[in-house]
Amino acid sequence: MFLTLRKLTALVSLTALGAFAWVDKDLAWVESRKNYWAYKKPTLAEVPAVPLGGNVIDAFLDEARRARGLTAAPMAGREKLYRRLALDLTGIPPNPGELDRFLADRSTGAYEKAVDRLMATAQYGERWAQRWLDVVRYADTNGYELDLERPHAWRYRDYVVNAFNSGKPYDRFVQEQLAGDELFPGDKDALVATGFHRAGPIHLVGGNQDEEMNRQEVLTEMTSTIGAVFMGLSVGCARCHNHKFDPIPQADYYRLQAVLAATEYKDIPIVSAEEKVRYEAEAKAFKERRGVVEKKIKEIEKPYSSAIKAEKKAKLDPEFLKALEIPKDKRTKEEERLAKEAASQIEATWDEVLARVPDAQKAERALLRKQLHDMDYFAPQVMPSAYAVANMEKAPKSYVLKVGDYKKKLDEVEPAFLMVMGGEQAPREIAGRRSALAKWLTSGAHPLAARVMVNRIWQFRMGTGIVATPNDFGLLGGKPSNQKLLDWMAAVFVDRKWDMRAMDKMIVMSLAYRQDTVNNLANAKIDSDNKYYWRMNKRRLEGEAIRDSVLMATGVLNPRLGGRPVKVPIEQEIYDIIFTEGEPDNLWPVDRNPAEHNRRTLYLLNKRTVRLPMLANFDQPDAMSSCAMRSTSTHALQALTMMNSDFMAAQAKQFSKRMAGECGADQGCRVRRAYKVTLGRAPTAVETRIAVEFFAKQGSWDEFSLALLNRNEFVYIP
Amino acid sequence: MRAAAQGFGAVALESMLQKEAAAAARLNPLAAKPQHFPAKAKSVIFLFMVGAPSQMDTFDPKPDLKKFEGKPLPESLRVTSQFSDGTTPVLSSPWEFKNYGRSGMPVSSLFPNVAQCVDDICFVRSFYTESAVHAPAMYQVHSGRVLMGFPSMGSWITYGLGSASENLPAYVVMPQPEGTPEGGTPCWGSAFLPAVYQGTLFRPGPTPIMHLKPPAGMSDNRQRATLDLLQKMNEMDTAAEDAEMSARIASYELAFRMQRHAPEAVDLTKETEATRKLYGMDADRTREFGTRCLMARRLVERGVRFVQLYSGGGPVSIQWDAHKDLKENHEKMCGLTDQPVAALLKDLKSRGLLDSTLVIWGSEFGRLPNSQSGNGRDHNPHGYTMWFAGGGVKGGQIVGATDDFGLFAAGDRYHMRDFHATILQALGLDQNRLFYLHNGRNEKLTDFGGTAIKQVFA
Repeated sequence: MFLTLRKLTALVSLTALGAFAWVDKDLAWVESRKNYWAYKKPTLAEVPAVPLGGNVIDAFLDEARRARGLTAAPMAGREKLYRRLALDLTGIPPNPGELDRFLADRSTGAYEKAVDRLMATAQYGERWAQRWLDVVRYADTNGYELDLERPHAWRYRDYVVNAFNSGKPYDRFVQEQLAGDELFPGDKDALVATGFHRAGPIHLVGGNQDEEMNRQEVLTEMTSTIGAVFMGLSVGCARCHNHKFDPIPQADYYRLQAVLAATEYKDIPIVSAEEKVRYEAEAKAFKERRGVVEKKIKEIEKPYSSAIKAEKKAKLDPEFLKALEIPKDKRTKEEERLAKEAASQIEATWDEVLARVPDAQKAERALLRKQLHDMDYFAPQVMPSAYAVANMEKAPKSYVLKVGDYKKKLDEVEPAFLMVMGGEQAPREIAGRRSALAKWLTSGAHPLAARVMVNRIWQFRMGTGIVATPNDFGLLGGKPSNQKLLDWMAAVFVDRKWDMRAMDKMIVMSLAYRQDTVNNLANAKIDSDNKYYWRMNKRRLEGEAIRDSVLMATGVLNPRLGGRPVKVPIEQEIYDIIFTEGEPDNLWPVDRNPAEHNRRTLYLLNKRTVRLPMLANFDQPDAMSSCAMRSTSTHALQALTMMNSDFMAAQAKQFSKRMAGECGADQGCRVRRAYKVTLGRAPTAVETRIAVEFFAKQGSWDEFSLALLNRNEFVYIP
Repeated sequence: MRAAAQGFGAVALESMLQKEAAAAARLNPLAAKPQHFPAKAKSVIFLFMVGAPSQMDTFDPKPDLKKFEGKPLPESLRVTSQFSDGTTPVLSSPWEFKNYGRSGMPVSSLFPNVAQCVDDICFVRSFYTESAVHAPAMYQVHSGRVLMGFPSMGSWITYGLGSASENLPAYVVMPQPEGTPEGGTPCWGSAFLPAVYQGTLFRPGPTPIMHLKPPAGMSDNRQRATLDLLQKMNEMDTAAEDAEMSARIASYELAFRMQRHAPEAVDLTKETEATRKLYGMDADRTREFGTRCLMARRLVERGVRFVQLYSGGGPVSIQWDAHKDLKENHEKMCGLTDQPVAALLKDLKSRGLLDSTLVIWGSEFGRLPNSQSGNGRDHNPHGYTMWFAGGGVKGGQIVGATDDFGLFAAGDRYHMRDFHATILQALGLDQNRLFYLHNGRNEKLTDFGGTAIKQVFA
């Protein structure tokens, strides 16, 4: 395997010069670009007058709008507002009872009370976790051909839910994910948090492997992710050459990578020594029990596999046959090779064997296979472990690699941080490198760390970031539409001890957030992209939130928090694309407790190569790289899934059942209730008439329910 | 504003024509878009042989291998592959080659039917790729990188050109019924491109697309009535200028049309007996692949932009991955596909569709000249053959070469990015104008930039 070289003039000169020379050259170049806004610390502008009922956010936005002749939209109606808030903060539509209480509360603090109440629900952390997991490219499997499940990764997912629910400060959140093992020894949560480094894909495959190259891939993946997630910089672009736009020399990339050079992936048991013994004993006993059934299957297969082998043996070329028949200890080296090859040639594959097993025995075998699968389903729990990282005993040296090729080592580098932000050295000792990185990012002096996170919170709630490219604050990325606001929020964030929830609340409390989504042609002419937030952005729910909303509306959403990922029933078409070269049975053992099928989507197994159509069709990210902002494409396959899938058919039935249960035969009551539960409002007169007409023309409740759950209004945050 | 997702990395738009196309795309992201420059191919059928056929046993004869039979390769040519170290003896091809067509192209006895089409085929014998492992190599040939997480070629092309069909998906994928290729779904995924550009799985039979049929018990009329109810409600809260909501309304109509048209598109009973026979649908061996090849033609005929067809997948016995028993394996796999592939070329040609359809035959890599397990071959990413036909391709020629052993591409070698550049060229797409901003980088199919192989074209 080789990487391909392209014309990279910068590098040619780079190799020609000595180490010192090119550091100096880099310095001059970095200096020349370091005045770009993103590399300078946020500055505090004077806060303009705060408009009535608003907060500082509105002061800055008002100023920007006024300067461009834009006027803010009127406030959204209270029903709409509450629905927006509930969907935004919890990812599920409002509970009708709570909605009514909110509507009945006409006090001035009613909205804030609602915000506080919703932020205090467990669903708040689940909603945030979904977003954060996009950013850290989390999935429950490794990706690539084997795409194996990671038995312990979910603990990181639960850690994230808890972090948001417990109000963990962002600085601590960053420190735990980057260096929880070093900074907080003995803290299980902090250890689990380091699963951040391993959330991405990894390629595990047999055969001859180039270990050093694989290690480089892993390091690149880790380094690029840290750059995108915490600094909003495409650091990974500097792996092969100096960054084309940003002042990140290639050496900077390798210095940052050197911070991770001694970090290795490790599953670390989080149980006591006695428990460990018990888990190991259980695992051993299970393996023995399983072995008994496996043996029975082998016994059925034996005559047929032996026959196939014998036939193949008879067809062997004489030289192979001869070698095979020489006793092992008497073979020459050449004969040994031939014998090994001969053994491989006469192997019987599972499908060849199965094709010969007579029907009666096939049935017996199928029963045994089923027994095996049942055993696996009820297998003892694997030893609870943190899907974590640890430091190696010795740190491998780090080098600048010409065009990223480990075979072309240039100068050795020491761990350090980006030159454009001071270029501080990290400790050379193995333990402490990642801590230093985490501390550097969260010292409060880093020009990007706080900005990047407040921009993410803003984008989450407002639909677009103040910087429209949340993972790229560099020169190719978007410029802030309101830098004063961004900087002010970043400063306040640090000032308030990195309180994410406080920033989140500040945004949803703003007048800007509470605006209507209504269009204004005059404004649209000036600012068609709504960069200055003259109205609220309508946002489509993510596939996960659509599924959760459906389950909530039909009343079956299982609110259980956390735990192992759940396998829900999948379509045959999806089952068929699960890759295996083996026998394709039991590839997707569905959870046998149907209540588990109604868990929030956050808890469904996210397998990198096998995605649920409901999610994949609605732009679920592929978890291969950090996703700062999902696409929102609209296409026919979404409609097919939403109208025709078994899931939706069952949910529509469930919904009409719920309506009948709550209203009996009273059609009017059912329609009103249906609107309340799905859309958080009463039907208009026209809508009532449309419903009446539909039922008058043989329309059934299941059909009506299906239509309602497909409605634009149902799948958008108003 | 949500159109930002589209506008984000949208293909640079310049002409009026393209502006109109952009307006149409807001309503339907798959609306047809103009080519960047005039070119013949309008659609692509990519015949992908999962597991890697051997070049020296099919389209790249190496008579010199006989001289080395049973002996190891010269020391300078011993390469480590996934399962072998290069020291095993040379295995010459068990098949005879003959020259075919007016152009006199050599083809082995494995492909007697494809051999009849060589005057329409351009063989490129000097492709090379970066990984000797199936999945990464599959990702590279499909998406340009050995890593997962990059949009597949079909996604890029539908992103660039939209669809010429209003009733069918733009990008269709038909895997081997026995199982999926090792690379799995990312081979036809849209990665960071919007989901609308992902490949849609198609299977033979009355329900070619997942969720195509209304739920059990719902008649077509009742579904239409339900849809009418939905649309009536949707239209009530959709302002005329709200492109995103309008697009959602339109998507349901397209879905409804798809329900009607997709089964028709794959209804092979509409084909004549002669056509069905041509594709080998009358014989057990060729029926399955013949069915999918004929489906491919029908789809292209109906405006589908990109059809991805896999031969092989699932159990090793139904892949081209001949680590042992090359003879048995290739005879079987070629037997399954030779007649259908030739039929596809002939059929497209007789219907005047070959000029506008680029047919590609290829794989993730080739195989080694030295043996594995005595009678098989390990993976060879260093030099291998893929071929093109139709869509402006100049047939009856060979481009590039491998060394005397068929091991390394020699002379003009072509990387996967050149492969992709060639395909984009055939479709009138400028590789540098087909980009998408993702995490601070303008990503392209050809990444650093490939060179279209000019000789391929007439």
